[in-house]
Amino acid sequence: MTAKIAVQGLGHEYVNPFTRERVLALDGLTLDVADGEFLTVVGPSGCGKTTLLNILAGLIPPTRGAVLVDGRPVTGPGRDRGVVFQEFAILPWRTVERNIAHGLEIQGVPKVERAAAVRRFVELIGLAGFEKKYPHELSGGMRQRVAVARTLAANPEVMLMDEPFASVDAQTRITLQEELNAIAQATRKTILFVTHNVEEAVFLGDRCCVLARRPGRVKALVPVDIPRARRTWKLFTSDPAFGAMKDRVLRLVREEVEGGGGDG
Amino acid sequence: MTPHREAVVSWVVVLAAAVAAWGLAAATLPLPEYYLPPPTAVLAALGDLVAKGILPTYVAESLRRMLLAALLGLAVGVPAGLLLGMSRRVADFFYPLLNFFQSVSGIAWLPLLLVWFGFGERTILVAVNYTVLFPVIFNALLGVRSVPPIYVNALRTLGAPRWRIVRDVLVPGALPSIATGMRLGLAYGWRALIAAEMLVGAHGLGSAS
Repeated sequence: MTAKIAVQGLGHEYVNPFTRERVLALDGLTLDVADGEFLTVVGPSGCGKTTLLNILAGLIPPTRGAVLVDGRPVTGPGRDRGVVFQEFAILPWRTVERNIAHGLEIQGVPKVERAAAVRRFVELIGLAGFEKKYPHELSGGMRQRVAVARTLAANPEVMLMDEPFASVDAQTRITLQEELNAIAQATRKTILFVTHNVEEAVFLGDRCCVLARRPGRVKALVPVDIPRARRTWKLFTSDPAFGAMKDRVLRLVREEVEGGGGDG
Repeated sequence: MTPHREAVVSWVVVLAAAVAAWGLAAATLPLPEYYLPPPTAVLAALGDLVAKGILPTYVAESLRRMLLAALLGLAVGVPAGLLLGMSRRVADFFYPLLNFFQSVSGIAWLPLLLVWFGFGERTILVAVNYTVLFPVIFNALLGVRSVPPIYVNALRTLGAPRWRIVRDVLVPGALPSIATGMRLGLAYGWRALIAAEMLVGAHGLGSAS
């Protein structure tokens, strides 16, 4: 079977606009993501995680190498690859329901079908009753739920998530992680999820990809052989297998932080 | 009392106090009347202008010129600003130029405008439309540039074509700034209009003296 996403010898170099230095963010990064797989990408800050995700999204062109989705090279953004950004990227002048339906609106889906999709995803994401609210009336966690629902509703082949839960409080983050886990199980979407949080990476990933820092490349791929159904925060914190996995990934990331001699 | 009525009442009180202070100063200060006419004289002159039908005509004249400038600002200034704001490089190029022209009021150009267009309607219209147009263009451009790029990227990843990004992100995102531009443009434009009418002496509020 061919990979859903194939990253081949990816390299990216850019000029830092402030220091005017050339930065090699990624170098020779090769990675396959299987259809329906949930791959988490973890690494210290400055390892090029977000660069990788933006290249996959088609928002920046790589300087070397290629990215294939379903065997076709990525040349720009497209609705086959939905993105959930780290910052709040839902439109503040649209209500919850109009934000969620935005992708479908762009695709030209008729109003009746859009309304049905909104109902479904509002339910799935736990926002029933908030359809008419504007983003500023919602908490940070709820806003990210809307962003996830908007991406899901557009029904992309692949979901790319860039530290989507980094700016919500710890309690909400756990809830969102459990919800995303349930969504992944229900939709069987191919998901590439970037994070600097090792616990999050192990909790969510079918495999966990540890990136080496500067230039970013694959340091290790750690399979997490724990069924989705068993992935609840309660079990996660009590199961020794989970604990061992987390320690292993954490050790790999720590090597990069210490070995890199940077800010971590 | 509702907050709105409260504001109206305090506004009337302040106005009455100011007129009273003016009247008191005119009555007690040892100045000739042409130096500081009392409120009663001004009121009489106002009554006279209204009775002769001059003031209503002049007000209508001025409002017509203002309305024309406002429409031009909306129809030309807003689209021009939006268009120039779409590309960062184009915006960077025009920014200092637009900032210069929006800072130099039409009043400052009046001596030159009089030489170019003479003592007539054309000078007034050029001065007013110029004064309205530049803040409108400038702020529409700023509005587009201030839309967070993440909104544009979010729409691109949803598969939105260019026109869709303009309609759904750039225009609504620039709207508050466009409103500011219109407000400033009309405020500056009104002053330029009165000044131009005073100098040119054509019909209009500025010449009603």
